[in-house]
Amino acid sequence: MTSQIATLLAVLLFPGGLFALVLGLALKGADRRVAARLQGRVGPPLIQPFFDLIKLGFKRTMVPTEASETVFLAAPLVGSVAMLISAALIPIAGVYAPDTELGNLLVLLYLLAVPGICLMLAGSASGSPYGAIGFSREMALMLAYEGPIVLIVAAVGMRTGMAEGHWVTFSLTEIVRYQQVHGWFLFDPIMWPAVAAFAFFYPANLGIVPFDIPEAETEVLEGPLLEYSGPALGLFKVMSALKAVVVLGLGIALFLPLPFTGPLAFVGWLVEIVVLMLVGVTALRVSAGRMRIDQAFVFFLKWPLLLAIASVAAVALAAGGAS
Amino acid sequence: MTADPQLSKVSTIPVGPLHVALEEPMYFRIDVDGEDVTGVDINAGHVHRGVEYLTMKRTMTQNVVLTERICSLCSNSHPETFVMAAEVIAGITIPDRAAYLRVVAAEVKRVASHLFNVAILAHLTGYEMLFMHVMQVREVAQDLKETVFGNRMDLAAMCIGGVRYNLDAEMTAYMLGALDKLEPEVQSIIKTYKTNGSILRRTRGVGVIAKDEAIAVGCVGPVARAAGIDYDVRVVAPYAAYDKLRVPVPVMKDGDVWSRAMVRLYEVAHSIQILRECLKDMPGGAINLGERPDIPAGRAVAKCEAPRGELIYYLKTNGEEIPERVKWRVPSFMNWDALHFMFKGAKIADIAIIVNSIDPCVSCTER
Repeated sequence: MTSQIATLLAVLLFPGGLFALVLGLALKGADRRVAARLQGRVGPPLIQPFFDLIKLGFKRTMVPTEASETVFLAAPLVGSVAMLISAALIPIAGVYAPDTELGNLLVLLYLLAVPGICLMLAGSASGSPYGAIGFSREMALMLAYEGPIVLIVAAVGMRTGMAEGHWVTFSLTEIVRYQQVHGWFLFDPIMWPAVAAFAFFYPANLGIVPFDIPEAETEVLEGPLLEYSGPALGLFKVMSALKAVVVLGLGIALFLPLPFTGPLAFVGWLVEIVVLMLVGVTALRVSAGRMRIDQAFVFFLKWPLLLAIASVAAVALAAGGAS
Repeated sequence: MTADPQLSKVSTIPVGPLHVALEEPMYFRIDVDGEDVTGVDINAGHVHRGVEYLTMKRTMTQNVVLTERICSLCSNSHPETFVMAAEVIAGITIPDRAAYLRVVAAEVKRVASHLFNVAILAHLTGYEMLFMHVMQVREVAQDLKETVFGNRMDLAAMCIGGVRYNLDAEMTAYMLGALDKLEPEVQSIIKTYKTNGSILRRTRGVGVIAKDEAIAVGCVGPVARAAGIDYDVRVVAPYAAYDKLRVPVPVMKDGDVWSRAMVRLYEVAHSIQILRECLKDMPGGAINLGERPDIPAGRAVAKCEAPRGELIYYLKTNGEEIPERVKWRVPSFMNWDALHFMFKGAKIADIAIIVNSIDPCVSCTER
């Protein structure tokens, strides 16, 4: 019973739920502010995303007459809930380890695909031609980046699992614990292809330039989100804020968990996630132009997939050489 | 309008009349098959304001002010061509200094207009940092306009028989300083557009129009020059002081979006040179006739090279204050049809980039 309450609290309060939401919105605020400064603008206040969310909460959700109402309204809800659960699946080194009852890395991979699918559903249910274009673009992009992420996770799992004496592990807690003892995978040459492939994966998953193709404002007017308003749009904002925390948290857990415990570990994790957001997301999205969907698709089939396959091969060969 | 998520079916999407990627209201009905554009239908008429009719209700002097308000980005070219037509009818030769001052006003506007278009290209490819950078560089030209002419967009520089502003030594020194500031920035922007992967992969080979097609639809301005047509009114039929100045004409042969952007950027660099030459060679003397000249009955055609290309004015007067007929043909009208060729084989993502590449001035075209 107590473990169930603890799990519920993990999903609703910390590290999922309220904490992840506040952190995600704060990250978005910092992102907007720093992006503005990099472009020579002043930018909105740091808490602007909170204001936006509150404002959207008080507005009315318009459902287009051509839309399929159930799917149209359910899509943002399902996406946000999937991200809430995912946030509770991400371990924070030395602070929080997810309950194995809740799920492992494989469950997380499935949950990570949910927001993309929800955007596709939203786009096709909205009845707008731009939504339909957004749907097809999101689908092409997902086909391109889902393959590499599975291979990246497999490579990390195999590296840890083989070192620990079994074939492969899908426990993020174990992966984090292994790195706390043996050092970051970021500095492990055998893992570099996986790190590089992950560096291509997360911008596509977070939908930022150069891979914000499904929502490209100057091309398809935010595609799937075009017809959304009020609380439903707010839920999509919640989903996207939570996703930033989940994806960056996953990156930290896979490649650079801190070897501390207690408050220092928590503060260190916060610093890591903010630095990743500003260097990896903000700096990238202001300093590149958008790709076309056909270019992005070919790009993903070429580099990240190749790197991900190379990383699995490297891990397997390294293990074979050691035994 | 159908919304069909199935990739194989052809569906129609509306772009415009109000669309974030378009600066002015235009309406395109685009048939798409997946991401490919299969057909385009261009509709105009959303910003018709009846300016042409209004010119026949105003006096000649009032029309100089009115024509300046047809469009913001070529706001100097319209009154310039209008007064040129009036001067042909009245047989006026403008003072030498006025001719040079007209060139100064026109070239400053050209710099600002071209930089604006090139900045928007970066914005449309999602490259916001470059967009903000080019707009910041353009701000030097805007400050120059505000300091010298008192306005950021409408310069109010032209009058029949000359110009309405003068440059003293202090202003000339300020302008030279601003040009010195502008030139290295423009050179670095040219280098960026030449080498940056984000720009190149979205603009090379996109929206191509071949030279013979460009001649067939009568393209003008940077669109024609990017397709290999060496045509610039400033060289072919010099007006104002252009016959005394060296005007290089950049010509490229690919005819794609990138070539058009590069032609504009090279023209900005050349305009800065022309401005320097003007300020150096500026003769003294009067800047206009000193009094409002009477325009006799007559007909005239005048043309000039606006930032978007050849602008032609037809003016018919009957000896009274109010002109009998004023008619103009704007460069965007000629380049409009070229869009049909450029959209061949385009993707949805290219639509806004291609439309922007002809630098359409809708309020000029629909007046």
